[in-house]
Amino acid sequence: MIFGNPALAWGALAFSIPLILHILNRSRFRQVEWGAMHLLESVVKVNHKRLRIEQLILLLVRCAIPALLAMCLARPILTGAQMLTGDAPVSLVILLDTSYSMDTASSGVPRFQQAVDAACDIIESTGRGSEVAVIQTGGSPTPVFDEPVFDATAVVRRLKSLQGGYGASDMQQSLEVGLAALANMSPVRKELVVISDFQPADWNGATNAADLIQQQIAAMPLKPEVTLLPVGNPVTGNLSIESLQFSNRPIGVGQEIAVRAGIRNFDASSSSNVRLSLKIDGVEQSVTQVALSPNSLTQTLLPVSFDQTGSHVIDVQLAADDVLETDDRYSAAITVWDNINVLLVDGDPSSQPLKGETDFLAVALTPYSLGRLKLSDLVRTETVTASKMSAKSFNDYQVIVLANVPRLSDAEVAALKEYVSGGGALFVAAGNRIDPKWYNAKLVTENGLLPCEFGLPRGKPDEQVSDEQGHATRLVVQHFDHPALQFFNDPANGDLSSAEFTQWYELLPVDDRSAVQSPGNSEQDTTSKQSIRGANATIVARLDNGDPLLVQHSFGDGIVMQFASSCDTDWSNLPMRPVFVPLMQQLITTMAAELSPPRNIDTGAAAVVLLDDVQQAGEDPTEASARSSQTVTVVAPDGSRRNIKTLPLKRKQVAKFDGTQRPGVYTMTGPDGQPVHFVASTSRQESDLTTMEEVRLSGLAEELNAQLVKSSDDYLEQDRLRRNGREIWKYVLAALLLFMFLELVLQQRFSRVRI
Amino acid sequence: MPHVSDVLSGRDIGKFANLQLLAKQVVEGFCNGLHRSPHKGFSVEFKEHRQYVPGDEIRNIDWKLYGKTDRLFIREYEEETNLRATILLDSSGSMAYSGSRSNGLTKHDYAVRTAACLAYMLLQQQDSVGLVTFDTKVTSYVPPRARPKHLQAIVNQLDKTRPANETELGDVFHELANKIQRRGLVIVISDLFGDVDRLLKALAHFRHSRHEMMIFQIWDPDELDFPFRQWTQFSSLETANRQHLVDPAQIRKAYLEKLQQFREKLTSGCSRHRINLVPMTTDQPYADALAAYLSVRRKSR
Repeated sequence: MIFGNPALAWGALAFSIPLILHILNRSRFRQVEWGAMHLLESVVKVNHKRLRIEQLILLLVRCAIPALLAMCLARPILTGAQMLTGDAPVSLVILLDTSYSMDTASSGVPRFQQAVDAACDIIESTGRGSEVAVIQTGGSPTPVFDEPVFDATAVVRRLKSLQGGYGASDMQQSLEVGLAALANMSPVRKELVVISDFQPADWNGATNAADLIQQQIAAMPLKPEVTLLPVGNPVTGNLSIESLQFSNRPIGVGQEIAVRAGIRNFDASSSSNVRLSLKIDGVEQSVTQVALSPNSLTQTLLPVSFDQTGSHVIDVQLAADDVLETDDRYSAAITVWDNINVLLVDGDPSSQPLKGETDFLAVALTPYSLGRLKLSDLVRTETVTASKMSAKSFNDYQVIVLANVPRLSDAEVAALKEYVSGGGALFVAAGNRIDPKWYNAKLVTENGLLPCEFGLPRGKPDEQVSDEQGHATRLVVQHFDHPALQFFNDPANGDLSSAEFTQWYELLPVDDRSAVQSPGNSEQDTTSKQSIRGANATIVARLDNGDPLLVQHSFGDGIVMQFASSCDTDWSNLPMRPVFVPLMQQLITTMAAELSPPRNIDTGAAAVVLLDDVQQAGEDPTEASARSSQTVTVVAPDGSRRNIKTLPLKRKQVAKFDGTQRPGVYTMTGPDGQPVHFVASTSRQESDLTTMEEVRLSGLAEELNAQLVKSSDDYLEQDRLRRNGREIWKYVLAALLLFMFLELVLQQRFSRVRI
Repeated sequence: MPHVSDVLSGRDIGKFANLQLLAKQVVEGFCNGLHRSPHKGFSVEFKEHRQYVPGDEIRNIDWKLYGKTDRLFIREYEEETNLRATILLDSSGSMAYSGSRSNGLTKHDYAVRTAACLAYMLLQQQDSVGLVTFDTKVTSYVPPRARPKHLQAIVNQLDKTRPANETELGDVFHELANKIQRRGLVIVISDLFGDVDRLLKALAHFRHSRHEMMIFQIWDPDELDFPFRQWTQFSSLETANRQHLVDPAQIRKAYLEKLQQFREKLTSGCSRHRINLVPMTTDQPYADALAAYLSVRRKSR
């Protein structure tokens, strides 16, 4: 027997009140000189014993009443009473950890199976009229049913078929969702059960936000009972592929890409000769052996090349015999480009080799073709002079480069604007022939195509560049955030500062021209990525005097990059430097790649595919909206298929799929039959299979004001105790009323008041 | 010097006056339908005829009957003298009880007043009245006289008596039954507490002596309904160290049952002996009770 409010149990001492009253009454008696003594005496003599017993009984009953009342208030909980089953309806929310770490086999059965069994036990024990909601915490908290369910068997049936393997659980968010769900359920007894393997990483947020959660609980009119039910034993010896990194740069057929696999060994002992296989679209390409030192991250480079264009999935798998298989493989989607068509518009053509404005650029973008090598170039360039530019259909090209073009006709500007806003990429380089006034008026002010106005020309022309004179400036080398320049964060890939710029135009951001003009402010603007036109324009690179060199902004669905200097050797020696080739390759291909939606997404993010390539050619853009939507089939990792309708967007059809909660490969197949693969991946922090120690777990339970149980049986036992406690309370109350009634009856019976 | 008005208020006396007037009317024979007309003074009430035996007075021979039957019969008359009433007043300790509802009167006070009323009334009717007070034994004796001034003697004696000692009606009554030789009316004013059987035997003794008996049983209302609530120590009015500490609520029913038994026994015993038992409670005006009794007695005659 334990008490819900032990302090009130002291109230049982109130039993002494009737006793004291009795004694007081006896001691403060009245004295009567009585005449009819012979009547009284005969009564007293005969009834003396009986009277004493009756007095005693009455006194006991009266003493029991305050004692029972105190017991009632103290909420006694009868331990070990098995006879009562709680039939009262209950609002039950189960937070079921469906993260992939639950797939761990511990003591024979996967943790997830244990968790599901425990959940089923708990749900099956609920009484009639209970409302049950199960929320999967893996990835983002997702209810199994949209509404709380009354039918326990339906929930159990559904749970049995539930699959785990989702991403890491955000327990703070899950608790909030669970409590919110609980608040909307009608039965007054609220229970929140968390069934998880309690990995410390999942609970960091929840531990920090314990106060918030407590507040949320406190705000609820009916306080829920929170129970933590850990499953699974702590296991060690897990191997996990933690990451798969590769360049975001587009690659073409035959190009080799280095995939960097990070493999973490959570074991205290080292493993040598672990087989690491690489599959492309399910076909094994290569196998390597890696040696893993204890408790560390090992990185391995895997070269991959593709012999077909299109969307591919690479799948890296560890042949490890460990407890958790899910994290032994890691997939990624890679798009192999057929080629990237680039239109180079030469504003200063020349018949001599390498004297034309775009000659260096053309060489840099197609090094293999020019070198007559067998390897194929990803980029296919086409060079036209400014005057012939209008003859080309812009939509055939992924990127258009305007190099030192003096000015354009209005029709060309209009065509260019439509091209960019419809999802094209434009690279504008300065030069000695450009007309800054025309650029500023037409492209910046009137159309907003360029992010910056061309300001004053800087630097000294036709002068021998030398470091000592200090006229030349260089590109500021720092950590680049822009995807095109991230490649150069690794010094082995070339030194951008090796190039010297003798002449350039000042680039004046449209909204903030004065700030860039004043030298004082320019010092503060040396961050490589800075917003100068809302959140739209970013400075990709700067010169070391603070002037922006590369500014990018998006225009419509497309992007525009503005280069302050020229593409040939007139204003800088950049084209002569080895770094020029990778720089231009990166810039152009990244611009092209950025316009396609990402294929490697986080779980829960939307997978988007743009269907534009075929239909769009030659069609009138105004008919785009009139085109009927197409059907795209999505195959999820668990094999389920769904058809989604595309939505028209400008000249493209957009297929968007949101249901990517489960990590794995999603394949979208459009009407053209070309599969597009998406890989939804999640953080691999769950791979650390250590669970919370007992102390931390009980600490957590304390912070959340929760109860910690060992198993579902334990929970049911505790639950029964809680319920029985209430039942006992009711029974004591009933006994109290009974005793009060009994007291009345006995008093009537014993005293025989008859007036 | 005590006076009647000490024990009887003017109103009480007034009430009696009416009664007396009524009694007078009865005596004078105005209410013929209800009563025989008893002649006061000489007894002329015919009782029976009996055969003449030598030695009988000749004047008592019924000559008319002799004429009819040729036999000598003696006319016998019931002897009818003035009523000799003796009031037996209980002055035992138990008569000293006074409850909260008795207007401050003890049972004894009440009894004294009742006795005074009766004495006054009887003397008014020219009857002779005597007074005996007793507890365990006879404490005083005022012989019956019919003089109006005798009331003074009785009132004096009444005024002197104080309730004390135990009651033992049986012995006292036996003693008195022997003492009061001439047959008459015996009026007992008492609470009759004591052994019922012995009491009844003594009463039978009185009846055996051909006394007419009338008992006014004086009750305090407390004794009839036992209204006590809190713990009470009852100590005996008659014996010094007899006391009981009880919760009255508990024994109430038993007490009332016992009381009922006691009264039933008395009632049945009295009716067996043709004794008029009149219970009176001290919260009722004694004169009213007395008047009510007298009217009852008048009807029953």
